[in-house]
Amino acid sequence: MLLRMFLEFFKIGIVTLGGGQAMLPILQHSLVRELHWISQEKFLYFVSVAEVTPGPVALNMATFIGYELRGVIGSIIATLGVVSPSFIIILIVARFEQKFKENALYTRFMLGVKPVIIALLINASYLIIQHSFSNPIYYLMALCGLFIFTLYKKSPVLILLLAGFTGIFILK
Amino acid sequence: MRKYFSLFFNFFKIGLFTIGGGYAMIPLMRETLVYRDNSLTEDEFLEMLAISQITPGPIAINMATFVGYREGGLIGSIFATVGVSLPSLITILLISIYFTNFIDIPWVKKFFLGILTGVVAEIVYITFDLFIKAKKTIFYLSILLLSVIELFVIRIDPIYVILIGGALGIVFGKFFEVKDAP
Repeated sequence: MLLRMFLEFFKIGIVTLGGGQAMLPILQHSLVRELHWISQEKFLYFVSVAEVTPGPVALNMATFIGYELRGVIGSIIATLGVVSPSFIIILIVARFEQKFKENALYTRFMLGVKPVIIALLINASYLIIQHSFSNPIYYLMALCGLFIFTLYKKSPVLILLLAGFTGIFILK
Repeated sequence: MRKYFSLFFNFFKIGLFTIGGGYAMIPLMRETLVYRDNSLTEDEFLEMLAISQITPGPIAINMATFVGYREGGLIGSIFATVGVSLPSLITILLISIYFTNFIDIPWVKKFFLGILTGVVAEIVYITFDLFIKAKKTIFYLSILLLSVIELFVIRIDPIYVILIGGALGIVFGKFFEVKDAP
C-alpha cells in the first residue's frame, strides 16, 4: 500500500504542470473517482484547508491524504512521492543550466519570457482577490499593506504577520 | 555546513509563508535571495521562476531544488527542498491529529485571510517594481499586452503563455538583445 501511494503521488507530481493548483483536478480524478481512496466531501474539505494553510497546496494535499490513509508514515511517503519528480527534473535542468546559458536561443527565449512574468504576477494577484476578497475592507488592508511595504520592504514576513493580526480584529 | 543550514532555514521560512498559492512565495524569496543574500541576480531569479513554471511539479519545490543546487550542489538541493516541504508536513499533521476543525475557528480564518491581503500587497509591489526596472522596448510591451490578453480574455494556461512568450523571443529577440545586454 505504501509503495502504491508513493507511485500514485509520484505520477501526480509528474503530470502537475504549472504549479500546485493545477494538480487539484488530477488528484481528485485519480484518488476520488478511480481509486476511491477518499470521499469527495473529505477531498473538498482538504482543499479548503490546504489553500489557506502554510506551504504549497500540492504538499498540503499530499500530507493530508497520506495521513488519512496510513498515518504519519503515509503522509511522509505521499509527500516524498509528490516532491520526487520535481526534484529529479530540476536537478537535471540545473546540471545543464550553464550549457543552456551559452546558447543564444536560451537568451532569446528568456528575453521573451520576462514580460510574461509581469502578466503572471498580475494574474496571481487577481486570482487571490477574486477568490478571497469579499468586501472593501480587504482592498483597504491590501492598499495599506502596499503602502507599508513600499516604505519598508526589508521584511516581507513582518508585513504578512501584521496583515494577519490586523485581519483578526477588523475582518468579518 | 553553515551554508546548508542557511539554505534549510531560508527555505523553511519561505515554505511557512507560502499562503495562497505558489506565487505568494515570490516576494519573500526575492527579498531573501536577490536583495539580502545577493545569491542571485534579478535576471537569474526571473529565469529560474520561468523554468520552475514550465517544468512539472509545484513551483515552490522547483525553486527550492534549483536554488539549493546552485548554492550547494546535490546536498544543497536536498536541504532546501526538505526545508520548503517541512512547514506543510508539520502544519497539516498537526491539523489532522489535533485540530480537525482548525479552519472553522473564526480568528484563525481571519488571520489567514488577513495574510492574503498582505500577499496581494507584496505581489502588486513586485509587479510594479519589476515593470519599472525593465527596459520597456516595443517588444517587451507587446509581449506583456499579449500575455495579459491570453490570461484574462482567452484564458490560456500559464505554461502556454510562457512558451508563447519564449517562442516570440526566439523569433524576434535577435533584434532586441543587443540593446538589452547589460
